[in-house]
Amino acid sequence: MIFQFSLIIFAIFAIIRTYKQYRLQRVSASWLTSWLLLWLAVILVAISPQSTDILAKYVGVERGADLLVYSAVVILYYGLYRMMVKQEKLQQELTSLVRKLAIMEAKKIEAKKDR
Amino acid sequence: MKIVAVIPAYNEEQRIRNSAEDAGRFVDTVVVVDDCSKDKTGEVALTAGAHVLRHEINRGQGAALQTGTDYAVQNLEADIIVHFDADGQMQGADIPKMIEPILNSEVDIVLGSRFLGAESNMPLSRRLTLWLALLFTRLVSGIKISDTHNGFRALSKYSAQNIKISLDRMAHASEILDLIKLKNLKFVERPVMIKYTADTLAKGQSFMSGFIVLKDFIKSKFID
Ligand SMILES: Nc1nc2c(ncn2[C@@H]2O[C@H](COP(=O)(O)OP(=O)(O)OP(=O)(O)O)[C@@H](O)[C@H]2O)c(=O)[nH]1
Ligand SMILES: [Mg+2]
Repeated sequence: MIFQFSLIIFAIFAIIRTYKQYRLQRVSASWLTSWLLLWLAVILVAISPQSTDILAKYVGVERGADLLVYSAVVILYYGLYRMMVKQEKLQQELTSLVRKLAIMEAKKIEAKKDR
Repeated sequence: MKIVAVIPAYNEEQRIRNSAEDAGRFVDTVVVVDDCSKDKTGEVALTAGAHVLRHEINRGQGAALQTGTDYAVQNLEADIIVHFDADGQMQGADIPKMIEPILNSEVDIVLGSRFLGAESNMPLSRRLTLWLALLFTRLVSGIKISDTHNGFRALSKYSAQNIKISLDRMAHASEILDLIKLKNLKFVERPVMIKYTADTLAKGQSFMSGFIVLKDFIKSKFID
């Protein structure tokens, strides 16, 4: 009961935040609608958890709650993978920066040696 | 023909003078890449007559080799680049026979091997790790070679321009083999003497690091 209640509160809070952002023209109308739909879906699920069972049955999972957990795991893993890719790219950029600096400095040292 | 030795070094103030001078006897210029050492590696290398490149952040042996090789090709107009270790395990006296096949224009790259003749006093655990690496390389890269993870190499300018190391840490050795195959570079192995002492074993690679190499290499196959 408490869990469902706080979920609804949180969703309403998120909708208000997004709407304010929209009023300030920080986010587009399509952004507002997609967020609105998402949070309304959350509220629906909170009020009637059984409603997800329909979708779950449709994709071949017993319970809606299970489907939710499965999807969360998949989405989290995908996020992890994306983060790994990004982190790898950062590492490579860092290396080329460090490399450039090292070569620049060495050139200076060698120029000094020659004099 | 300009021969340049590239020595990656991390916390090697005790050993860098000897190794830089040893290599220096057989090449025109020695380049030491000080990979953000916490000791005086860079200063010592300078007094040993080397060109010193300093990484402001530790980037690993693979990254250091690439930095030194870039510098040798772009700034020193090197014709042959020799990869050499700072820890004194390699013998400068092996350099002439390492570069000979390139001087004779027979191949693009020469790889040192610990398992062709010259008996080294390698401990058994190291032998086992290397044997596993060998098997893995033969399966994955399809390259037939007796020693996959030997840091002693001689590269022609052409192969240096074609081999760009992107695996910054220890997995670069596997990456180089992949690139040899991919870019169709002609290679040959030459026996080299690698000495194992209590001191190099204490500071060198552990059995576990073999797994890190494997992890880095596999990861690289999934990320672009
Ligand atoms: N640039 C750089 N060089 C490193 C790093 N770690 C080790 N090295 C250098 O790489 C060379 C070889 O290092 P070792 O740890 O002895 O590795 P190895 O020779 O492959 O392994 P062993 O068979 O145990 O000796 C030495 O010249 C080290 O100074 C690092 O983080 N950065
Ligand atoms: Mg070593």
